[in-house]
Amino acid sequence: MVLNTVKDIVRKSSIHVCIVNCGGCNGCDVELVALLSPRYDLEQYGIYVHNNPREADVLLVTGAVTEQWVTNLKRIYDKAPEPKIVVAVGNCPQSGDVFAQEGGKVHAPVSNFIPVDAAIPGCPPRPTEILSAILAVGPDAIAQRGREKK
Amino acid sequence: MILPIGPIHPGLKEPLRLKLQLEGEKVIKAEIDYGYVHRGIEKIMEGKTWQKSIYLAERICGICSYEHTQTFAETIEKISGVQAPPRAQYLRVITNELDRIQSHLLANSTFFKTLDHEVLFIHVLDMREYIMDAIELLTGNRVNMGWNVVGGVRMDADESHFKPILEKLDVVEERFPRVRELFAEGPAVALRNKNVGLMTKKEAILGRAVGPIGRASGIKKDYRHDHPTYQDYFDFKTIVRNEGDNYARTLTKFDEIPESISLIRQAIENMPKGDIRTPVNVKSGYAKWQGEAPRGEVAYHIETNGNLIKHISIRTPSIANIDSCAKFMLKDVASVSDAVSTYASADPCIACAERVSITDETGKTVNKDFFEVR
Repeated sequence: MVLNTVKDIVRKSSIHVCIVNCGGCNGCDVELVALLSPRYDLEQYGIYVHNNPREADVLLVTGAVTEQWVTNLKRIYDKAPEPKIVVAVGNCPQSGDVFAQEGGKVHAPVSNFIPVDAAIPGCPPRPTEILSAILAVGPDAIAQRGREKK
Repeated sequence: MILPIGPIHPGLKEPLRLKLQLEGEKVIKAEIDYGYVHRGIEKIMEGKTWQKSIYLAERICGICSYEHTQTFAETIEKISGVQAPPRAQYLRVITNELDRIQSHLLANSTFFKTLDHEVLFIHVLDMREYIMDAIELLTGNRVNMGWNVVGGVRMDADESHFKPILEKLDVVEERFPRVRELFAEGPAVALRNKNVGLMTKKEAILGRAVGPIGRASGIKKDYRHDHPTYQDYFDFKTIVRNEGDNYARTLTKFDEIPESISLIRQAIENMPKGDIRTPVNVKSGYAKWQGEAPRGEVAYHIETNGNLIKHISIRTPSIANIDSCAKFMLKDVASVSDAVSTYASADPCIACAERVSITDETGKTVNKDFFEVR
């Protein structure tokens, strides 16, 4: 019980994020980089961008799944340790946006390949929206999921 | 030993696989695997109307999204034989230069991040936010602006837009010299970058390096000098350096920022009155057009029947720059961390680069046309 409380505090206060660009236009990734700037200051909330799936708590998926990512997306997801949540950033991972048309080589949505916990629409969403979405779903969901696994 | 880096890696922003061939700690050769973000945009565009295609053109690349729409619109304008009104051309220049400044600042901040120089990284990224504010104020969006239409620009701007933009430029101009000095004259940073990732002028020509990457190796080519708007109304100088190392590439991008700021000031000062959009009766035909994106030359070849796009090919600068980075810059680098920072200094934009491209290692058929592939 005490151990669970301690684990909750730790999980809530230190969230490691990995950005997985599976075939977008790069716009969402730019807005994610902008989150690191002093204006938004992601790290004051205890969120760290490491871009390493092996130490990630949150996978931020951007982009409509392209040919190469059909098999690789699940592999990246499996590499992240439990508990983990997936946040889909932008329109592409949800619907494929403009690329899901005749002639396009995309396999959206992302939820066909890995379970998605939260989605932020927008092309691209504003940094504040991304930040509030990660904070709204991140800490509590990670802590709760950590308890379920016990 | 071959060390693979990527596609998801702390040092890289976008998915791409770098294969470094190591001898001890030294990197002797590098190879690059593309194809992680190929979406087939040209194929989607074929058979669509040009109104839909300009929307797609914006989503080729998120960082230099603006230049793609401008080049697309100007190609269609050339086919139809019209020119945007002067006020629209001036507004295009303002947005183009704001986009160039934010792209250069982002590229340099990414480079400092790979150097693990957190101070410069944060300073440069903070300056960028002021430019993003200016872009948002003018166009209404931060990244994909939707600012260009065939025949002009979408919205008019007035004094209430220009005054805050000038104030934000003042802030950037005030902070900029200190940040530049931190990089250019800081002994530790300079030592880490001088003579790393060398590319001579001859190699740059062979690799067809464009934009700031080519200009840092001594190729004096800026497509803005060929552009009618810049030729007719604006005055600026091209930044050229001869060293061809990481230091020169970063400083070239830094030094272009004051030039862009001065271009924006010129545009706002001499802003002509009049329409912002001219009606265009799109004719059928074929045309090619080049523009200078933040990373170098963007070229569009469009064949249209007056309504639908029959064939389109797009050449983006990153293809040539990443290729010359793999072949010439990552040839004889002292360590893996230097190799990653060298790669970042070439300002790669993978979303741009996933086009059809012809590469030739012998260098004999350098003049081969990129657009012959259909």
